[in-house]
Amino acid sequence: MTDFIKRLMRSPQGAIGTIIVLLVLVAVAFGPYLAPHDPEAMSILARFKGPSADFLLGTDQYGRDIFSRLMIGARSTVIMAVVATLIGTVVGALVGVTSAFLGGRADEVIMRTVDAVMSIPSLLFALIIVNLLGSSDINALLAVSIAFAPGMARISRAVALSARKQDFVSAAIARGEKPNFIVLSEMLPNTVAPIIVEMTIRVSFAIMLFATLSFLGLGAQPPSEEWGLMVSEARRYMHISSWILVWPSLAIALVAIGFNLLGDGLRDVLNPKT
Amino acid sequence: MTSDTAAPVLSVEGYSLDYLTAKGPFHALKNISLSIGAGEIVGLVGESGSGKSSLAWSIMRYLPGNAHEVSGTIRFDGSDLMARSNSEIEAIRGKRISMVFQDPATSLNPTLSLGRQISEVLIRHQGLSKKQAWAEAEARLAHVGLKTPAQMMHRYPHEASGGEKQRVVIATAFACNPELIIFDEPTTALDVITSRQILELFQSLQQETGVASLYISHDLALVASTAHRVSVINRGEIVEQGKVGEIFTRPQDPYTKKLIAAVPDPSVRLAGSEPDYAAKPLAEVENVSVIYGRKPFFGRFSKKAGNHVTGNRAVNLAIQPGEILGIVGESGSGKSTLAKAMTGLNKFEGEIRFEGRPIHSIADMSDSYRRDVQIIFQHPDASLNPRKTIGDILSRPYRLYTEYSGKAMRDEISRLLEQVKLPASYAARYPHQLSGGEKQRVAIARAFASQPKLVICDEITSALDVSVQASVIELLMELREEFGTAYLFITHDLNLVRQIAHRIAVMYRGDLIEIAPTRDITAPQRAAYTRQLLEAVPVPVARSAP
Repeated sequence: MTDFIKRLMRSPQGAIGTIIVLLVLVAVAFGPYLAPHDPEAMSILARFKGPSADFLLGTDQYGRDIFSRLMIGARSTVIMAVVATLIGTVVGALVGVTSAFLGGRADEVIMRTVDAVMSIPSLLFALIIVNLLGSSDINALLAVSIAFAPGMARISRAVALSARKQDFVSAAIARGEKPNFIVLSEMLPNTVAPIIVEMTIRVSFAIMLFATLSFLGLGAQPPSEEWGLMVSEARRYMHISSWILVWPSLAIALVAIGFNLLGDGLRDVLNPKT
Repeated sequence: MTSDTAAPVLSVEGYSLDYLTAKGPFHALKNISLSIGAGEIVGLVGESGSGKSSLAWSIMRYLPGNAHEVSGTIRFDGSDLMARSNSEIEAIRGKRISMVFQDPATSLNPTLSLGRQISEVLIRHQGLSKKQAWAEAEARLAHVGLKTPAQMMHRYPHEASGGEKQRVVIATAFACNPELIIFDEPTTALDVITSRQILELFQSLQQETGVASLYISHDLALVASTAHRVSVINRGEIVEQGKVGEIFTRPQDPYTKKLIAAVPDPSVRLAGSEPDYAAKPLAEVENVSVIYGRKPFFGRFSKKAGNHVTGNRAVNLAIQPGEILGIVGESGSGKSTLAKAMTGLNKFEGEIRFEGRPIHSIADMSDSYRRDVQIIFQHPDASLNPRKTIGDILSRPYRLYTEYSGKAMRDEISRLLEQVKLPASYAARYPHQLSGGEKQRVAIARAFASQPKLVICDEITSALDVSVQASVIELLMELREEFGTAYLFITHDLNLVRQIAHRIAVMYRGDLIEIAPTRDITAPQRAAYTRQLLEAVPVPVARSAP
């Protein structure tokens, strides 16, 4: 494990990515304790203030402290994105690896279905699901997970196909192992590395997707501190104070970049050949 | 041919090379001294990882970025190669020094026609016009024994066989009449008969042009029949060099002795006791055919047959209890296909009878059949799951076929590891922490965990070095003595199979040509193909010495 971290920290992408993601996780874990103000305390006198000693990042249209709102919003924004990606990944990986193992007609049927689902853009797909189920946090989460599953299925199938050709899978078949053992214990561990890398990259997509859903008013509802919602609300006041728009946008971008870099770093570390 | 008096074409003196790795410098070559005179063939023999390819790349001046040349000189035709600039080296490479690689499938560019690839060398280094180069290239291809050079010029690499491709590579290497050619295992990727032809071509071209050659190989027998002088390299050091006859008949260095002793010699039998041929056969294969490819979806409506590939055509054979049946043949002859059919990895038609019980399809293979018939694969790297410990890997057969669990199973695994001569502590290791030979021992242990009656060995020593191969074979023979296991030993190494098998089956393009007792395999009444195969095999070292 220490060797793993050492190797991750050796590449610049890995090191920067890890640091950013760790900072974000600190905000997620301790956000409410670190926030200097009550995120919902309004102040008529302190509206649209720029950054100052009292309000680190300024205040929004109701005079609420933006920094505090960001710190507290980190929890819902990042956890939602990570959980949605995890669900999408697990579902997709199982479908993909099973499909690769079965091969032949079953593979054909599963993958063509996945293709059909993939042909709908993920945002549109998420919109449809949220529209059908009604707009709420949980439904948005479900929508994003389902939207991610086909892509993950495709990637894990491609990786699993090459694992399928390896002799250790043949050896397991020749031994008379049960199919679920072969899929879960022989093939899946060997497809995990690329899947984890893909997952970290997708976390940033998920954040964007959630932000977009909130922006359209289909995800989190006011007065939630979700970052996408903050951007959406700030849009109307952009000409009065650009800070309310800039800070949450920057926060989203930072998390996206952090996870992307971490993904790049992990790709090198998890490849045993480097 | 050998001119000892003239200045050598290539002389390497006191050359050392390190690779800088994350774990500190790795000494790839240590104090190498080697010289090749005009018209001379020098063999460089070593096992994998001995640094023989590193030396080839040093001479070609094409080293990776982490290479660090510690000391020594490489002089080509009297001038120091290491002092040359990149552009000067580019003018030398391909024109005055050229190289032939191991695998013709990867050393030719798949998107360019063969004619383009060879004429490019002539345009670049001889300054010929396109038209002249094309005509010249065609002549060169005719010269290397290609039957239809004009057509061959327009073909792409995938349209030519392995032997034809290697001929084109050799023609390219000889195209500019170089002074030195480096051959890096030029026949290793080819079939026995093809590699024999390539070797003959190389010898006649070498004699005709008198080019100095460095012939790199792991195959002692091959080098013995080709080279004038030999250098034996071990872990980056040349341990012995001298005339071929002297080195192979009177080796001085212990490593050379070990290497020569490990080369399979058909006159030394290792097979052990003969099986009882009167007994009921252990396994019978009757009219087993394997056909690859499926009928196209719309094919059933038309009369057109799909493009099927026949892996096996109505193969019949029987194995006695405790017998070692060798199966030999070139690549694509269907040896492995048969092994896969017998272990339920391929669909097949026909019947397999095991101890009298008929099996018609994969579904008929019961747990007891799976337990009694085990398979060991060629590449231990691929056949052991890299994400599992050796202990985990070996626990699977126990869980599947036996009642063992917990402590009793761990004890069994330790015992099993010791049986294949590995320390019991290896159970906690991962495959990548083991050497190739050790990994193959683990694969053997896994096959023997269920105490099978028949073990199918699919080219299990091909990926191993000679000395490791000898110890793996020794282990297999010991295990057979102890358990009375029958082996279906698939290989392309005729010398090896003649050492260990009781009977030999010869396969060619999916057909079983014949089965003969090993002692009769050289008899004149054998099938034409069998005799051809035997003639193509290089004679073992000890007997080739003058």
